[in-house]
Amino acid sequence: MALLEVHSLHKDFGGLKANDDISFNMEEGELMGLIGPNGAGKTTLFNCIAGLHPVTSGQIIFGGHDITKFTAHEVARLGLARTFQVYVASGDLTVVENVMVGCFMRTRASSQAKARAEQILKDFKLLDLSDYLLIELPVAAQKRVTMATAVGTAPKMLLLDEVAAGLNPSEIEEIMATIRHIHNDLEITVMLIEHVMELVMKISDRLIVLDSGRKIAEGTPNNVAKDTNVIKAYLGERYVQEHAAELA
Amino acid sequence: MEALRNAFDFSDFPRLDLTIAAVVALFLLTFPAFPHSAFAMATMIQFLMFSLYGMGWNTIGGYGGQVDLGKAQYVGIGAYTTAVMLIRWDIPFWVSMPIGMCFAVIWSFIIGYPLFRLKGHYFAIATIATSLVLKDLFEVWGFVGAAMGLEISPIKYSPPDFLRLIFKEDIYYYYVILGFFFLGILYVNWFRRSRLGFQLRAIKNNEEVARSLGINVHWAKIKTYAIATAFVSLVGSFHACYIKNIEPEDTMSLDISILIALMAMLGGAGSLWGPIIGASVLIPLKSYLKEWLGAQAGLIGIDLIIYGGIIMLVSAVEPRGIWGIVEKVRRRKRR
Repeated sequence: MALLEVHSLHKDFGGLKANDDISFNMEEGELMGLIGPNGAGKTTLFNCIAGLHPVTSGQIIFGGHDITKFTAHEVARLGLARTFQVYVASGDLTVVENVMVGCFMRTRASSQAKARAEQILKDFKLLDLSDYLLIELPVAAQKRVTMATAVGTAPKMLLLDEVAAGLNPSEIEEIMATIRHIHNDLEITVMLIEHVMELVMKISDRLIVLDSGRKIAEGTPNNVAKDTNVIKAYLGERYVQEHAAELA
Repeated sequence: MEALRNAFDFSDFPRLDLTIAAVVALFLLTFPAFPHSAFAMATMIQFLMFSLYGMGWNTIGGYGGQVDLGKAQYVGIGAYTTAVMLIRWDIPFWVSMPIGMCFAVIWSFIIGYPLFRLKGHYFAIATIATSLVLKDLFEVWGFVGAAMGLEISPIKYSPPDFLRLIFKEDIYYYYVILGFFFLGILYVNWFRRSRLGFQLRAIKNNEEVARSLGINVHWAKIKTYAIATAFVSLVGSFHACYIKNIEPEDTMSLDISILIALMAMLGGAGSLWGPIIGASVLIPLKSYLKEWLGAQAGLIGIDLIIYGGIIMLVSAVEPRGIWGIVEKVRRRKRR
């Protein structure tokens, strides 16, 4: 049985079809990339799955539960965590306190939450930064802290929204190592939205491509990269016509 | 057990803070032994009361960032419950105080449930509105003395009456409220590191993120609002026995609501010491200004002007108040 099943999901914002008839399955232990041009509806899809947006129609099943109508905190408690693309923090919480908030989902005791948070930070090689405020850190470290916080909730599956955006190559390496740690060592199923192709192509088992709210391709990174629809979405109709010979 | 240990655990504060806190605590414990005027004693009691109000406000307003400007309604509920029960049925303070707390908490659930659907300024305005409506209701409700209010006449009792909290000398009131003050500090010290405390701070940071970390944001706010309410109602009950004369205009006025919020914000919202620091600045200022300037015609509203100035100063310089400045300096030094 698939861990996550999405059945013909629709999400309209007024007249705009942000997600239009999207269906896919994810198996436990998979690492899947979600790509597509800006405005394709990737983050909207995450928000629908994570319960932040009510869906217009369709069905979402996670671990055998129908979560279509669940609120965000109910989804999180079932073991489906997420990170945010733009994380606005007012700067009240330190790094370790941030991770503790995640850990508090599974425990009431402060001492347990703290011990677990410190263990996670150690695994993520962030322990030195424990007492800094989130806003004092460089973006790459911030992103890794938000990932550590989500891991604190002990999820079965993690949705990562553009964790590598705006980072330099060595930072992307770090992020990639962190994602591998989450996926391989912690055995968490991962789905990530990513524009950084060298990361998402290298790391994903499978890719889903969205364009204008519709799913236009699905498959291994190699197959997707050759897909005419995908090339059309990224480079335009004319490019495909002009280079028809090479692409075939 | 762990909760109790955490309440007494101040180890994450620097030694300097703890030394200052110990000196202040010692001073508070021995204050009545120093020569003092009745006016100074009254000011000290006010300071302790408003510190407690501020601590309560700080849970939802400081740690949770939900600016509440309607705390006076809970002062009123606590004060009226205790006064009515004592006058009509001779029920002592120690019984009526928890009952008042229950009434206040029930009322806080009733208004908190819809109010926490609102955010930011809308929430603040709605709390003012509910508080004013309740005050107006009490002003026409004959059972509780309507606009005339209630008076507890001490002659009927034989002070010192520890059950009913009726004393002739202020020193008794002082030590009772000082006891509550220390308990309040221990409670907030536990709260700030409890699961609920962390959840509230996460909500203040970013509600969407908080929700995605499994926090039921609406319910966490309502629960904390109830805690804040319980604090305020307790002091309200004390207020009834101490002042002995309560009327809606005094106990439930908008001034009190604003003063409570203002103290916590000036001292440092979202910190343990903040409300106490705020109260230690504003309460003496308020009493002595009233004493010195209030007598002179034309200067009667000057304390309000000063409050306004403080609000502007705090929001322009450091939104986290005096304690925010202290923490900023410390962070800079550590680097």
